[in-house]
Amino acid sequence: MTSDRRGWHKAAGRVGLAVVAALSLFAVLMLLKGVNPLRAYGDMLTSTFGDRQQLAGILVRATPVILAGLAVAVPARGGLINVGGEGQLLIGGVAAMGTSLALQNRVPGPVALVLMAIAAGLAGGLWSALAAFLRLSVGIAESVATLLLNYVALDLMFFLIYDRWKDRKGSGQPATRALAANERLPLLGGTRVHLGLAIAIVATLAIYAVFRWTSWGFKLRVVGGNSEAGRRAGLSVRSLMISSMFVGGLLAGLGGFAQLAGAEYKLRSGFLFGYGYVGFLASWLARHRPIGVLFSCLLLASIAISGDSLQLDSHLPAASVNVLMALVLLGVFGVAGKKRET
Amino acid sequence: MSLMLVEVLSGGVRGGTSILYAALGESVSERAGVVNLGTEGSMLAGALAGYAVASQTGHPWLGVLAGAVAGGLLAAVHAWIVLHRGGNQLATGLVVLFLGLGLTSLFGASYVQAQAPTFKEWAVPGFSKLPLVGDILFRHDPLVYLSFAAVPALWWLVSRSRWGVILRAAGERSEVLTTNGRRVLPVQYAAVIGGGMLAGIGGVHLSTAYTKAWFENMAQGRGFVAVAVVMFAARQPLKVAGGAYLFGAALALSPALQARGYGINQFALDAVPYVATLTVLIVLGRRRAADLPEGLNKVFEASPSG
Repeated sequence: MTSDRRGWHKAAGRVGLAVVAALSLFAVLMLLKGVNPLRAYGDMLTSTFGDRQQLAGILVRATPVILAGLAVAVPARGGLINVGGEGQLLIGGVAAMGTSLALQNRVPGPVALVLMAIAAGLAGGLWSALAAFLRLSVGIAESVATLLLNYVALDLMFFLIYDRWKDRKGSGQPATRALAANERLPLLGGTRVHLGLAIAIVATLAIYAVFRWTSWGFKLRVVGGNSEAGRRAGLSVRSLMISSMFVGGLLAGLGGFAQLAGAEYKLRSGFLFGYGYVGFLASWLARHRPIGVLFSCLLLASIAISGDSLQLDSHLPAASVNVLMALVLLGVFGVAGKKRET
Repeated sequence: MSLMLVEVLSGGVRGGTSILYAALGESVSERAGVVNLGTEGSMLAGALAGYAVASQTGHPWLGVLAGAVAGGLLAAVHAWIVLHRGGNQLATGLVVLFLGLGLTSLFGASYVQAQAPTFKEWAVPGFSKLPLVGDILFRHDPLVYLSFAAVPALWWLVSRSRWGVILRAAGERSEVLTTNGRRVLPVQYAAVIGGGMLAGIGGVHLSTAYTKAWFENMAQGRGFVAVAVVMFAARQPLKVAGGAYLFGAALALSPALQARGYGINQFALDAVPYVATLTVLIVLGRRRAADLPEGLNKVFEASPSG
């Protein structure tokens, strides 16, 4: 256990070092664009962390990313690479919206929400389990299948919002109708933070507990370390692979549900764009440890939200904050890489 | 009907060219055992650098050069983290994608409205008069013709040249090179950076010949289509060309049908590259999996966890 805890400090130190290096490099880039980096960072800090609404924005942003990150961490425990969080989030959102459209507000709000969550989790889980099944049946690497399925999910959602589910009474933008007021997740503390955050935190703790104290978690670890050893020890590698992918996709599906029912209330063309990939990176940043995933996601969400300040205060495009995020991640991967492989 | 066929196929060549360059690059990189999901980032970098340099200098060909350099530089970041620092290829590639997205957004804002000289369509004398084929293949911009030459050249380079043997050895059994007293890393660096340069040229085609403009995130997933094409075509340049044009045609089909009053959903066609690739992988199954360079098996499967 002590080695585990020491690993914790080292990991935090590595990330801290990477953040400092990334901030310095990004400062040089801002200088090139004629922006005073000190003032820009000052503005970023005050407007991102000094304001209750922006802090809430970080938590809202992090919520689906945490669930997408766990969707990577669970299969990774069993040695599987899930690049499909992006698609599983979308499929979850699509299933939740579809449930709401099918119910047409004929059931009480809480019942509708539970049904939407179940549909989203199942859809996300089946979407990712499909990739595990393809690996076991025809030998397609799950990383490849999940990546390809992301785009199938995206195009499916586009098809629905531009065509079948398009709100004809809406503004003309491709989007579904909004969820009814009683089909929305309750907001917490008078901010935009919604119950989805609680779902994400509970899921993180649950996965932590499952990894630590259940036999399923232990078996996954054995199979992930050496699947042949697991097989010889009599473990069913097939069912472990499929179940871990299913649980991963289920979590991401819930992330799609949380974003839909807690933050956006409708499917639109930019729905959760890129969140799944950020979750993937957050999981690698945390070396697939559940609690670490939670903090990685909060870090990456803070960086993303600070892009608003770049745009408003420093007049740089909001998307340029991706540079900062990428530099932090490259720093961590670059410094930690060699050790990670062993 | 034949008119529409010509429209779709020539549209497939036109729209598929940027994908083709990127996919050719990715297939070289994968032959050396390195997957680069940052291909999309290299395309964006190439698209912006090409457009900016063409706009500043007035020479689109200098833009091609700049685009290749920019795409190569971004790929070099991937190569360094992956080859020297032992970073995971899939994760690092995605980071490189975000890096390219961010950098082009940061430095591209001032070029959104800019004018730049662009590549014009040039009908090849004689050939463009051929029935069907002339309209499909020989009424394009020079970068399309350059890609016609790049396909056999890369096929020769990978499959017939001495360097190709070394390249494939680096991806299949790098120990063999080591035992023969060759260094593996320079080969892999060259393949990844060369692949990024090709993706960069694909980006230049996108901005200076296809859309004739620069805007943020303009590659719109074409880099991922390119990665899918490479899987679809098992890293063989001739098949890569077929795949790129097929997927380009799928994207050109819907506007052509809509112009004739047939409603077909754009997004059903947009999904074609991914569904087709999955289908090919399913049908060819284990045989295709066995074609995978040994070095890539480690990347796509069996992650060390925890």
